[in-house]
Amino acid sequence: MNNVNQIVQKVRQAPWRIQHQWIGLFLLGLVLMAMVAAIYLNVTVRATLAGRETNSLRAMITTNQRVNSDLETQLAGLISIESMQKRADAMGFQPADPTDITFVAVPGYMGRSAIDLSVPSGDQPEAPIILPEYTESWFDYFMNQQASSNSTGANP
Amino acid sequence: MKRLPHAWRYITSTLILAAMGIAILVQIVRIQGSPEVAGVIDQGNYVWKDFYPPRGEIYDRNGNLLAGNKTVYEVGLDMTAKPDMPTIMLALQMSGFDLNEVNYRISQVPSAQYVILDDFVSVEKADQLMALQKVAHGDPTGKNLDAIYFKAHYGRSYPENDLASNLLGFVTEDNHGYMGVEEKYDNILAGIPVRIAVPADPRRATEYPTIPPGQTIILTIDREIQSAVENILDQALKNTGAASGTIIVMDPRTGEILAMSSTPRMNLNDYQSIKTVYPGDTPFNRAISEAYEPGSVAKILTMAGALDSGAVKPDTVTFVPESIVVGGFKIYNWDGGAWGYQDMTGCLANSLNVCLAWVSNQQMGSVSFYSYMQRFGLGHATGIDLAGETSGRLKLPGDSDWTPVELGTNAFGQGVSVTPIQMVMAASAIANNGQMVYPHILYAQIQDGKQSNTKTQIVGTPISANTAHTLTDMLANALETESSTALVPGYRIAGKTGTAQIPLPSGGYDQNNVNTSFIGWGPVDDPRFLVYVWLEKPQTNKAASVVVAPVFKQVVEKLIVMLNIPPDAIRLQLTGR
Repeated sequence: MNNVNQIVQKVRQAPWRIQHQWIGLFLLGLVLMAMVAAIYLNVTVRATLAGRETNSLRAMITTNQRVNSDLETQLAGLISIESMQKRADAMGFQPADPTDITFVAVPGYMGRSAIDLSVPSGDQPEAPIILPEYTESWFDYFMNQQASSNSTGANP
Repeated sequence: MKRLPHAWRYITSTLILAAMGIAILVQIVRIQGSPEVAGVIDQGNYVWKDFYPPRGEIYDRNGNLLAGNKTVYEVGLDMTAKPDMPTIMLALQMSGFDLNEVNYRISQVPSAQYVILDDFVSVEKADQLMALQKVAHGDPTGKNLDAIYFKAHYGRSYPENDLASNLLGFVTEDNHGYMGVEEKYDNILAGIPVRIAVPADPRRATEYPTIPPGQTIILTIDREIQSAVENILDQALKNTGAASGTIIVMDPRTGEILAMSSTPRMNLNDYQSIKTVYPGDTPFNRAISEAYEPGSVAKILTMAGALDSGAVKPDTVTFVPESIVVGGFKIYNWDGGAWGYQDMTGCLANSLNVCLAWVSNQQMGSVSFYSYMQRFGLGHATGIDLAGETSGRLKLPGDSDWTPVELGTNAFGQGVSVTPIQMVMAASAIANNGQMVYPHILYAQIQDGKQSNTKTQIVGTPISANTAHTLTDMLANALETESSTALVPGYRIAGKTGTAQIPLPSGGYDQNNVNTSFIGWGPVDDPRFLVYVWLEKPQTNKAASVVVAPVFKQVVEKLIVMLNIPPDAIRLQLTGR
């Protein structure tokens, strides 16, 4: 008790100590706010850069798809029936006549079949590109965590 | 306690800072809560964007691209940038733009902030303008082209130009398909445009919904066969002076159309020329859109019905005079002469109108005859998956304009109108063991990376398999008996010519012109192709056996090579029969 009284007495005798305490507390708050602001700024900048990159990639995908279509059409033009006939003529080929043909039996050969343009299923993106962690709110996050922990707990 | 000197300074500063802080807080709350400001923020934060999926591609059965997409540009002008119009007009003129069209577009929207100067501009043309823009960029006198904007998007492209144009159709600038496959399958080829609110704030970039592109489709057409058929048809028109022509090649086992051509054709990349290429009411695709009186090729249907109903047998012999009276009118043979005693094969081989009229009128009767004609699908559209099909006309007893003489004339293909595709479908029953197949163009469609093939559809069994085999044999014998110019050495083929008079709109028949047709299939024991040839108004000769039968032969000679069909002797040896 005597010690407390001594401290109070000392403070009353030197009021600058109180001012130092207030200043210290203010600076502490300022540093904390600066830290939060820095973290916020950092996250915001990273999100912005990622967003811009996403938009840029999306534009590139669109451009690439168009370029692919262009190239495909150009290729089709180069191998069009008219072009191929001209090239064949230039190389000295002539259309085959039924009398020119010799038929040979090839065991197991089933003849020419029509094309199959099916795409292997592995090439198809099945999951969303942006994971839910990047789009859900804090509330959603905690609710999902809660739901997953409950479901885990329910398991034997 | 003693007050510090100058304490009023600290107090004043504190009050000012506190007031400023409160003012900022109040402003933040006001902005957050203001609906007007919120609206402005929303407008700034979201941009509506239209996403047009690329139109589905069209391939032939071997994977050759028949219709694809290419980049084209919308060229626009930002009027808010105060463009230097003389410089811009000069640049547009140098790049090949139509200045009248540009001026018209600008005058239509005088107060607009953005004017579309031209759309569907080719890459080459746009590149030229972009190069000029680059050169003029940063011109100190302000005579630059910076106000011109380029927006790339898809346009339709047909790498084969006019190949198969009659059945492909075309796509206009509003992304709608017209005619043929493009119109018939427009809904699945076009895809569904999507409008999305895209956040302008890059921090709020969200995943776009998947915009499915238009479905890719594969046609039953074989590009090589189609090209060969078109070349043969063009040459035939040149040789015979015919007004127009049509050739259809179908696999009679499946109904797959391997080639379909009619004249005229147009370069689909220049669809604006349609009014020039198809003046007036010229059909875009005669194979499905033009009904005509087919003449003697229809005799195969009459004979099929007669054989199937038991009205006649192949060896039924009848006396064929020069004429027969049906419904009070005299019907004559094609040469006006009498042919004496003929069996049914002879009637077909010599294409005797009197004999066939006798079969329909005296052996079958109207009920049986018209029942078979309906079973063969006459008078009804086949439902082929091409836009613009017409159904022709089969008048029936009881119709106000039907007269009894038509029971006789219909038996040899006069007084009844059909489209070439109807005849092909009907004849498929004879070539395919009595089973009539649905003719179709779509081989497969691709959805979500999976290909689903069109299945063969049997639309009816108008005659028995036995009747089909008997008639096929009779027709093959008939061709061999007359040493037809349609015959191909080494291959047994069934077929029938048809020379038909052309009815005039004013009544009666054209005395100067005829329609010539040929329908045939082979090899007869295992048909791989069914070919229909129609030449309208040939000038060099009016007999189908002279004009059209050689064209049929040329087509078959190409098919033999392209479909790898060995001569009958080799084929039967290989199959062990």
